[in-house]
Amino acid sequence: MIIRMKKKQHKNKLDGSISLPLSIIIVFCILGAVVFSVAKKISVQMTESAIQNLSESLDLIESTIEAIINKEIEFQQLMAQEIALAQDPEQYVRTYQQNQTMTKISLIYTGKTQGISNTGEIFSEEGLDFSEGRTVNGLAVCKSYTNHMGTWAYTLKCPVVKEGKEIASLYIEYVYDSLDNSLPDGFYNKKAMLYIMDAQSERFVLKPKGMGERTAGHLNMEDFFRANDIQEEALRKEVSQSVKNRKNIMFHHDIRGKNSLIYMWAVNDGTLYLIGYVPIDAIQQEGTTVNQNILIVVIVMLVAFFLCCLLYYFNQRQQSKLRKEREQEREIHNKQLAEALQAAQIANSFKTTFLSNMSHDIRTPMNAVLGFTTLLARDAENPEKVRLYTKKIMASGQHLLSLINDILDISKIESGKVVLTTEEFTLHDLVSSVDAIIRPMANARNQHFYVEVTDILHEYLMGDETRINQILINLLSNAVKYTQEGGSIWFRIIGLKNHTPQCEHLRIEVQDNGYGMTPEYLKILFDAFTRAENNTTKNVQGTGLGMAITKSIVELMGGTIDVSSKVNEGTLFRVELELHASENEANKQFWAENGISQILVVENDEKICDYIGSLMQNVGVVIQTVPSTAKAVQLLSATNQMTYQLLLVDCAIIKAEGIPSVKMLQEMVLETMPTVLLVDCDVEQTQESLLMNNTKVLTKPFFVSAFQEKILEIKAEQNGQNAANTLDADSMEGLHFLAAEDNEINAEILRELLEMEGADCEIVENGQLAVERFERALENEFDAILMDVQMPVMNGYDATKLIRALDRKDANQIPIIAMTANAFAEDEKEALNSGMTVHLAKPINIEQLKKIVTQYVSKS
Amino acid sequence: MNKNRKKNMLSCLVGFIMLSLAACGSKQSGDNVMIFEEKAERSVTLFSPMEKTKPDVDNIARSASEKTVTMAEEALGITVDYITYTAEDYQDKTYDEVALDRARNHMDDLYLLNPDIIQKLAEENKLMDLSGLDNAKNLRDVVKTANVVDGKLVAIPQEIVAYGLFINKDLFDQYHLELPETPEDFLECCRVFQENGFETPVGANRWWLETFVFAQAFADLYNGGNTQTEIAALNSGEAKYSDYMRPGFEFLQEMIDCGYIDAKKAYMSEAIDGEGADFLAQKTPIVMAYWSAANSETAYGNPDFNMSVIGFPSNRGQMPIITITGFAISTNAPHAEDAMRTLNIMVSDEALQAYSETNKVISPSKNVSVDCIPALKPLNDKINEDIFVLASNAGMKLEQWGNTCIIVRNLLNGATVDECMAEFDRLQKEALTK
Repeated sequence: MIIRMKKKQHKNKLDGSISLPLSIIIVFCILGAVVFSVAKKISVQMTESAIQNLSESLDLIESTIEAIINKEIEFQQLMAQEIALAQDPEQYVRTYQQNQTMTKISLIYTGKTQGISNTGEIFSEEGLDFSEGRTVNGLAVCKSYTNHMGTWAYTLKCPVVKEGKEIASLYIEYVYDSLDNSLPDGFYNKKAMLYIMDAQSERFVLKPKGMGERTAGHLNMEDFFRANDIQEEALRKEVSQSVKNRKNIMFHHDIRGKNSLIYMWAVNDGTLYLIGYVPIDAIQQEGTTVNQNILIVVIVMLVAFFLCCLLYYFNQRQQSKLRKEREQEREIHNKQLAEALQAAQIANSFKTTFLSNMSHDIRTPMNAVLGFTTLLARDAENPEKVRLYTKKIMASGQHLLSLINDILDISKIESGKVVLTTEEFTLHDLVSSVDAIIRPMANARNQHFYVEVTDILHEYLMGDETRINQILINLLSNAVKYTQEGGSIWFRIIGLKNHTPQCEHLRIEVQDNGYGMTPEYLKILFDAFTRAENNTTKNVQGTGLGMAITKSIVELMGGTIDVSSKVNEGTLFRVELELHASENEANKQFWAENGISQILVVENDEKICDYIGSLMQNVGVVIQTVPSTAKAVQLLSATNQMTYQLLLVDCAIIKAEGIPSVKMLQEMVLETMPTVLLVDCDVEQTQESLLMNNTKVLTKPFFVSAFQEKILEIKAEQNGQNAANTLDADSMEGLHFLAAEDNEINAEILRELLEMEGADCEIVENGQLAVERFERALENEFDAILMDVQMPVMNGYDATKLIRALDRKDANQIPIIAMTANAFAEDEKEALNSGMTVHLAKPINIEQLKKIVTQYVSKS
Repeated sequence: MNKNRKKNMLSCLVGFIMLSLAACGSKQSGDNVMIFEEKAERSVTLFSPMEKTKPDVDNIARSASEKTVTMAEEALGITVDYITYTAEDYQDKTYDEVALDRARNHMDDLYLLNPDIIQKLAEENKLMDLSGLDNAKNLRDVVKTANVVDGKLVAIPQEIVAYGLFINKDLFDQYHLELPETPEDFLECCRVFQENGFETPVGANRWWLETFVFAQAFADLYNGGNTQTEIAALNSGEAKYSDYMRPGFEFLQEMIDCGYIDAKKAYMSEAIDGEGADFLAQKTPIVMAYWSAANSETAYGNPDFNMSVIGFPSNRGQMPIITITGFAISTNAPHAEDAMRTLNIMVSDEALQAYSETNKVISPSKNVSVDCIPALKPLNDKINEDIFVLASNAGMKLEQWGNTCIIVRNLLNGATVDECMAEFDRLQKEALTK
């Protein structure tokens, strides 16, 4: 049933599609047939009308000729009457002059064969053929002939009757040329041909002007037929017969490729004939024009119809195209929507996973905090346990804090809110800070930590030191964590080929010979919350966000990070960064200011020699390198004591030749000349070298800034300055703070922390109160204001603005430190913009607070 | 792109509609009365011969002349009406007779005349002096020689009509016959042909046998270097035309007697009509005709054999016979001034160039020349070497071309050579006493 229905539908479709063109064809056929029949009818009617016109024209010409001839006859008869009455008929005749019509007038008396002409010549009928007996209006007419003037003529013979008796015959010769004047100058636009033929001789005696083609000429009927290829015997016979019977005839025939109408029209009862032809298209001009116009109209209609069809077709095509485009667009949109939905679902799923992981990871240390707090309450009297629990709570809190920091970091990075702070820093500071954190970690696990810096041209660079530090700490701390005890960790900074003289292209390598990673894990290493989970690593603490953060920061800096690892063999991280070199003029001026123009370097490692040389180039200091103390002695012997202002000796020399060799060198130079020993982290060496005068130890890798610091230390020692003061720089003993904090717990913690450091603070609940309290305060009553940001009544920003606007001397000077959980860069910026001095993120790190206080309070 | 296409189609459509509307529109005159003014048409009549036309064949002679007439019409805004005449048969009045009558009665403006008629009418002072026409100065001397009467240039031709012997070279080669130079050579050739089955070796008509006579009569006169002296002697009566003509007539008589010419047939035959078919069918190896017949499809323009056109035999070798027909204007022409202007353009170098190129004939202008077909080369070479006989010379008091033609007919009709010579003497006497 269904198949049948489908077949029927298909058939209907086919029928529908076939029937339309068929219908159109049928309609056009009918139209064509109608137009054709109408045109044909018009043609036939116009042909009939044209033939009618032609016959009327011929009748007119016939009548004209007949009228002329009749007038001639009448005149001749009149003349005959005159002659009859004349005294001397011959004389009468002689008096007549020839004219255009009558070229000769002659008279022959009855019974005589000769007579007289008006020309004076003797006249006879000889040469005039009246044998056929043709008459015109009763007068005999002879066969046409060429007269003495060389033109075709005919003679009419008229009896001269006197008193009822014929006394003579009057002969008047008429020329056919005279008829020409009475005939039109052509008809049917000179396309019709016309001859006047003498019926008796069948000679063409006149071709009126304008009547036909000039190039054709016809003698007689025979010539006419032959010239126009009218060869059909039957037709010629019929024509001949008709002419004989003095009938008017017309017939169709092709003449030189044109369909023509040939006519033979009797004049004067067939004495003369009008013979000629006219092309059908000449007489049917109107009909042809009408048909042409009909055709044009039909063509125009057809063209219009086809144009419409074409327009319709193009329109349909365009519509179809638009429809297709819209459908495609819709498909694309649908696809995009599906993808967006999928992405949203994935993002949602990630979010869920992230939250789930985060929740888990937060709960874990929280559980420890709460758990140990509970235990604290239970074992409050047991100081050992209290210390233990406190330690564990601190560790969990630190872990939680680092987790929150990492989450914040990853959120900032993903939301694009991380802004790199580009400032000048030194590689020495970077290496030192990293070394200070990582070396103790490594030492605690009996691991060897090696630091190498090679091929660096610029020590002073522009970049975000904090973030680079973060990258290095992440990588190195992972290296420490994921290397067994006693393993080795290498930290290398290698200067790559510079792209421009102003940039330092660094490769930072962090390598270990630790547990390594599986290839499967390597694929997801940089995903958030991923940690290598196996029997070896399951106990390693971490948030699982470090590598994701590291990768994001590296990429944010425009660098690259890649990793290679083998299980149980170790891992190698490679980070490549390009940093702009800083134009540090102070570096160059240092040497001149300190009177150092030549340095003697005792170094047997060529690489280190080159490295030192490249770092010290363009600073105006000559570096003289010798590979051993013996060489140094030689050199010094050859120069005076003042030649060198500084001695740099590698620890390898010391290892090989011992401290005494260095002392020997010192004796050869000025007593006050500083000596810097370039050492690895060898405690023994360090201790012994510290006992030498004017000697400082510089830990490798060599950095110019560190080198300069050591020189300054030596100089400072020489000048008796004590650096001990710095040990107290971070103390907050005796300082008085005004704190605005709405959270009681945070306020309590703050008070306790400050009291621990020997400082005290007055706490208010909101910004409004802080402003009022400061307003009431004496000048310099408070050393600094610790301002929370999010507070009721008035927030920290507004309060700061009001404080700064107060009309008192210390309003602008007093340090206002923002203490807030808002840790994003814009928060810091907003704080600074509102007038705050510095931004400190919660939870408060007391050491950090001490540093800041020291920095800003001492300044103010 | 689509938008542009749409715009273009729309523009086309709009344009089409505008055109259609414009085409449909018509001027509506406010007046109901339509005035037809008579067009003042200037016209001249030209009396010229007309050949019996064959269907579907182009008459190149007429076409050539037609071109020059059209040039004049276009240049002057004049219509040239043709009046034509052709004799139906030998009993009918000839074209020349009718031309004479018409010119004497000032029936037309322009006439195309044969040399004898030119002479007659010029003697009767019926023709205007054409030496004042601008283009008359371009004419060759031979034209002036032939058409100057009493110092008046009475006719100007559009071509120099050269007559020659049209021979079937293939037949000559077949019978190892050299092309005849002298009358004896010619008779010998005829003998050989006759022996080999050619009943009538020479095709003839009632018009052109005189060419044999002229070649033998005047070869020395026109090529001996004493032309004027001899003509003067003839004009004064010191010398007799019959003396010049006798050898030619005797030659013709011999040809008739030997049956080389069919005298009866020739007497009744119109030019080419009588002998042409046999020549083309290679039944007759020799005919005589004028230059244009070699270029005319209706004449001998397309033979199936190698044809050569040579001069007539004489004691001086092959001799082309030149007659010069010409256009003349009647002294009392109804439209004399227009006729003069028309003729001036018809004989201009430009017109004659067109004429000569169409007809491939020798031009009467010094400045015009065209190449000839290979068959005509022998004749052309002779003429270029100034070796020819004039068959019409208005400077001779006795008209040559027409009279000799008539007397030759007498010969064909049975008259003796002596009777013919006597006729020449009579005519000469008549001419000298005029």
